[in-house]
Amino acid sequence: MILHVDMDAFFASIEQTINPRLKGKPLIVGSRGNKMHTVVCAASYEAKALGIHSGIPSREAFARCPNLEFVSADQSKYIWTSEQIFQLLKGFNLPLNYASIDEFQMDLASCPNPVSLGKEVKEQIYANFNITASVGIARSWLLAKLASKLNKPSGLTEINDSNFEQVLRQTPLDKLCGMGGKNGQIFMAQGLQTCWDLYLNLPQFFEASPFFSNENPGKSNEKPKSVSHSYTLPKNEINPQVIRAWIRLLSEMVAVRLRQQNLVSATVHLWLNGPEIGNFGAQKTQQAQTSDGFEIYQRALKIMAKSGLKNPRIRLIGVTCSNLSWATYQPLLSEEIRREGLIKALDRINNRFGERAIYPAVTFLTH
Amino acid sequence: MNQNSFNPHARWDRFEPDKTGFNPDRLEERIDVLVFFKHAKIYPKSFTWNNKEYPVEKITYNWQERFGQALINYFSVLSAGQMYQISFNNSTFRWQIDKLIQ
Repeated sequence: MILHVDMDAFFASIEQTINPRLKGKPLIVGSRGNKMHTVVCAASYEAKALGIHSGIPSREAFARCPNLEFVSADQSKYIWTSEQIFQLLKGFNLPLNYASIDEFQMDLASCPNPVSLGKEVKEQIYANFNITASVGIARSWLLAKLASKLNKPSGLTEINDSNFEQVLRQTPLDKLCGMGGKNGQIFMAQGLQTCWDLYLNLPQFFEASPFFSNENPGKSNEKPKSVSHSYTLPKNEINPQVIRAWIRLLSEMVAVRLRQQNLVSATVHLWLNGPEIGNFGAQKTQQAQTSDGFEIYQRALKIMAKSGLKNPRIRLIGVTCSNLSWATYQPLLSEEIRREGLIKALDRINNRFGERAIYPAVTFLTH
Repeated sequence: MNQNSFNPHARWDRFEPDKTGFNPDRLEERIDVLVFFKHAKIYPKSFTWNNKEYPVEKITYNWQERFGQALINYFSVLSAGQMYQISFNNSTFRWQIDKLIQ
């Protein structure tokens, strides 16, 4: 059995705890200080009731509710709270997976009473942080995640043999993790409307575990297909130095994640958006695989140079590395060995002293 | 334990703060603080800002962030109906008022 913990409107709940004046009010957390030029990172349940959800432009949210409260995101408090919840859950001494900043999964194979454990998890989170979580319990991570979403906020739902069919019959397919986008549309076009329809056609889908292996709980065995980071600038940016600085920063962020997962990439994809160019994306595959942020940056610049873009205004920048393999290559050339030593040293410094302890000077232009 | 699948430190909240004039979101002024230590935790009791004392009626939340070697302890506190964010840098032993929480 898997227990899935999903924090309720995580960022918004923390902001409402910090500032009690915001409790019970429609609130959005935006990713940037200017409240009319950002996107909604999180919405309180009061805002969700008005049809406001994360991902929509803040301007649209304010159009729906002019009295909406706005707080600009401060990620440090969300990271700290997330890590403290992870530490709290570690205290239960069960295999634990850090699924995302507001989601955690526990393997309950050795737990005699999952429901009472779920209650205790919820109570301890509320007692320590004054915010609520919804808990789902089921035989696979996918069903547990689905269960956690069925009775939000502060729900506790178990999907077991007795209610399995009923729950799946009542749940539209697009509520299932991984079925919200094109996958869901493809299945729905084939006449599958509910999760039960999918189960009848593809029962193994509900048992498979891309992130949290049921056979080997707590360990992620499959490598991701791609690693990417993107950023929407506060305004259209024409300064090529600033644009390059952002490409460098995003390349470094992608590279750090590649190295953390012991991966290397052969394909670098650069995507840009701006008023003149619309959506631009191009990629380049090279034989030499890399997890070096500077190398990814150089390849991204080459893509940009070859694209023929002449100093366009840019609003969104994204860097993606795909075609991933496990890193097994041992450098032979002295310059490669020196470079690898440098990267390892930088990673050790940042791991020990915090993410921004040492970073390429050019990325200072992004501040 | 598996922390490889998710890195909570991948930041996305970079933005350019307004640096002109009085900005209640970015005060960063030194303050004097009377604190109470209990069970390895810090409880601010009152703080003095611009020669005025503000008794802390409630600490609504606290969290930490690491900047290089320094560990910053943040507190959101209520005083006379106004919420403030104050912080303590354990490297410089400096207390500061960060912002007024609106």
